[in-house]
Amino acid sequence: MEDKEFDLAQMEKETEEMLKINILDEKNTEFIRTKGGFLSIKTGDTSYPRVHAVRMFPFTDPDRYISIRTTGEKSKEIGIIEDMASLSKETAALIKEQLDLRYFTPVITGIKSIKDEYGYAYFDVMTDRGECRFAIHMGGSDVVHLSETRILITDIDENRFEIPDVLKLTATERKKLDLFL
Amino acid sequence: MELRISLPEKYKKLLPAVNEEDIIYCVPFDISDEGRFITDSYVAVTKKNIYVLSEGELKETYDLNDFETIKSEPGISCGILFGVPKGGDESKAVRFAKYSSAHLTRYAYVAKGCRFLLQGKEERVESEEYEKYCPKCHRALPGTRECPHCSGKKAGLVHEMLVMVAPYRLQLLGIFALMLLAAFTTLINPEIQKHLVDDVLKNENGKMSTAMLILLVMLVMSVGIAFINLLKNYACAKLGSVISMDMRRKLYVKIQMLSLSYINDRKPGDLMNRIIRDTQRISDFMGDVFCNLFTVAIILVCDVTYMLILDRKLALLSMIFIPLSVFISIAFRHNIHRRFHMQWVKEDKISSELRDVLSGMAVVKAYGKEEEESKHFNDTADDYALTQRRNETFWAIFFPLMQFMMGVGVYLVTYFGGKGVLGGSKTPGELIQFVNYTSMMYMYVGWLSNLPRNLMNLVTSVERISDVMQQEPKIRDTKKAVDHEIKGEIEFKNVTFGYKAYEPVLENVDLKIKPGEMIGLVGSSGAGKSTLINLVMHLYDVDDGSILVDGIDIKDIKLANYHSQIGVVLQETFLFSGTILNNIRFARPEATELEVIRAAKMANAHDFICKTPDGYNTYVGEKGYNLSGGERQRIAIARAILNDPRLLILDEATASLDTESEYLIQTALDRLTAGKTTFAIAHRLSTLKNADRLVVIDGHNIAEVGTHNELMEKKGIYYGLVTAQLEMQGTPVSHEEAV
Repeated sequence: MEDKEFDLAQMEKETEEMLKINILDEKNTEFIRTKGGFLSIKTGDTSYPRVHAVRMFPFTDPDRYISIRTTGEKSKEIGIIEDMASLSKETAALIKEQLDLRYFTPVITGIKSIKDEYGYAYFDVMTDRGECRFAIHMGGSDVVHLSETRILITDIDENRFEIPDVLKLTATERKKLDLFL
Repeated sequence: MELRISLPEKYKKLLPAVNEEDIIYCVPFDISDEGRFITDSYVAVTKKNIYVLSEGELKETYDLNDFETIKSEPGISCGILFGVPKGGDESKAVRFAKYSSAHLTRYAYVAKGCRFLLQGKEERVESEEYEKYCPKCHRALPGTRECPHCSGKKAGLVHEMLVMVAPYRLQLLGIFALMLLAAFTTLINPEIQKHLVDDVLKNENGKMSTAMLILLVMLVMSVGIAFINLLKNYACAKLGSVISMDMRRKLYVKIQMLSLSYINDRKPGDLMNRIIRDTQRISDFMGDVFCNLFTVAIILVCDVTYMLILDRKLALLSMIFIPLSVFISIAFRHNIHRRFHMQWVKEDKISSELRDVLSGMAVVKAYGKEEEESKHFNDTADDYALTQRRNETFWAIFFPLMQFMMGVGVYLVTYFGGKGVLGGSKTPGELIQFVNYTSMMYMYVGWLSNLPRNLMNLVTSVERISDVMQQEPKIRDTKKAVDHEIKGEIEFKNVTFGYKAYEPVLENVDLKIKPGEMIGLVGSSGAGKSTLINLVMHLYDVDDGSILVDGIDIKDIKLANYHSQIGVVLQETFLFSGTILNNIRFARPEATELEVIRAAKMANAHDFICKTPDGYNTYVGEKGYNLSGGERQRIAIARAILNDPRLLILDEATASLDTESEYLIQTALDRLTAGKTTFAIAHRLSTLKNADRLVVIDGHNIAEVGTHNELMEKKGIYYGLVTAQLEMQGTPVSHEEAV
């Protein structure tokens, strides 16, 4: 019976731990950029050689609520950065670098052409990351509306492209996109 | 998927010490350090080094042997390839390249290949996955290995079509004859009309009887052509449906033969579409296009030739507008397609929204969101109505306009031909005949402009079908495969397996099971319990190592023979549409009624079966009599008992059942498993109380093996699971009661 009590306490502790929101800031945590350009942190007594930075609200709040997690399959949360803006410039840049490593969603700034042929639509676009051509399935759910004017396009390779505001495109460009709006 | 892309010459020059054969893997990457799209960049791997080549330079050279491991880490629509130096300190990890999702799979294989090299393994990792884009024409591939556009030009596809229709030679011959007849009748009509006008109506000696005779001929021809077309369309539609039925049957048989891995690699519905939609397309093509194809071709050729003979100048003049007409026809069709596609998308949105709300009505009401939901729905419905109205208006205005434009050549002919009639160089009959030929020409040119698209649809469907037909099942009997009566000893020897080669689910598993032993498999979901069972069932081949059944490699036992000796009871019991009798007899259709009853009794199923209105003849399955989960389960157990398997697999066989049926099933299972080698998976650990040994799977491997008591003593993972489950039930824990 002693075993049981011990275990119960242990389990409750673990559950508590999972429930706790552990806020990381520069006071309780040291953020280190490794030589290879990864993020390593030291918080409390523990050092983590390499950690992941994960956005909790990638679409609505990309710069706030960043979960810092251990790597590997059973990734666990170490803590949360509430707001990148509250960090020093250097640390914010470091976190941003990690986020850029994990997220790649080019923003479409201009549309050169969209051609549909035999069930696929071929896009030739300008993005903030340079020129790009890609294809999507027609008639599928590859174009998702995040809001009335904001759309997310997933190509056949599962690359994602964003148009933050359709209204900012020219009328000709919008006409090309018509089919997907 | 190609993992060894040939480097451009300029990069080869930068690696003078490296022979082309030395490069084991070479794959492109497309994101620069600054996060911009780049082209012309590669990671090349040799036995010793990793080279990163970009922007025309050799950016980095790494010594492969400096690394402990090489990993590819997927992000959100991108990924990175990096290495952890010897010692395994991740804070010293080095990044090699960043790439978009287009290359995710490739790099996963390459990383695995690099790890093989580090372990000193010789084998080169190969990828079975298809490319997404055709390497030649850069079009997206419709889930096939070959590109329909590029291979369509090859003789192969024509050959496939010919093979497809070869058994129907006679019917085809008949259709050809009908096509010729249709073309001839259509062509002769204007000639007769000319005679009516010139010889009878305009001729002073024209007799009523001649007029009537000509009219009669015209009537007979009109009726004739309708009849011929009817016959021809009927024959084509029939042939089309026979061919597609034939294809459907062949496809179905083939897909059943293919390994689960091929089926699981495809999106759900993809194979179904190939069986249903692609074969339907072939049938549609036969009915709509093929049956008119030769008629139209013959008519057009004769029509144009005849026009040129009759009046060369006027004929050439009439053709001026053909390019315009083709252009309009294509542009119009394109526009229409877009518009109606959009309407279809919006219609789809309405129905999916409706489905959402209707099936979630309880939630909507409970949270009092009715008004918001109806407003939302109204908006969608309004939007749809607007699109629909616009499309109808467009159709009403532009269709007549387009028809006018398409026929504009006819007006030209009428004008110049009319002048000719007034000038006396032409008879009115000749003019009418010519006008008729011209409008005929325009009509069929419009039809022909549809042809490339129809042909491409056909080629794509044929390609998608032949892609399946050409697949060789990965798991099949080897030449030395034998029949073997299973005694029940199963041995895993250093087994490694993953559904995708680069994602091992089980790694280096060693386990020996004695005949008649019952093994309980324990572990968190996704740990690999079901995978282990799939391997025992030989639904997949192991990637590495081997599985021995009574000392014989599982690959050397005939599949059908092996499967006939396995019994399976799964969590979601699948009952086929049919009677209870047929369901129990599934594995042994020749079993007698008495045997079935005995099996049902042993499975504790006999009593509830007797309570159903039609007894053993009760129809179950998708639309049949509603059985409870426990009842279905017991039918599945009866099915397994009847088969009297040597090897038994229970995957969550007692999950989510009420206590009474659990007891009934448990006793049924006890009877079933007695003396048979059994693998049982259960989340509810009490179900495994009869297991001789428990195997805990964790982290791709076997973490603990032993009896319940041994594992409880050990206080490892199993101990944790048992105590956690008992805590949840609020039962006090002691070792004895835990069982």
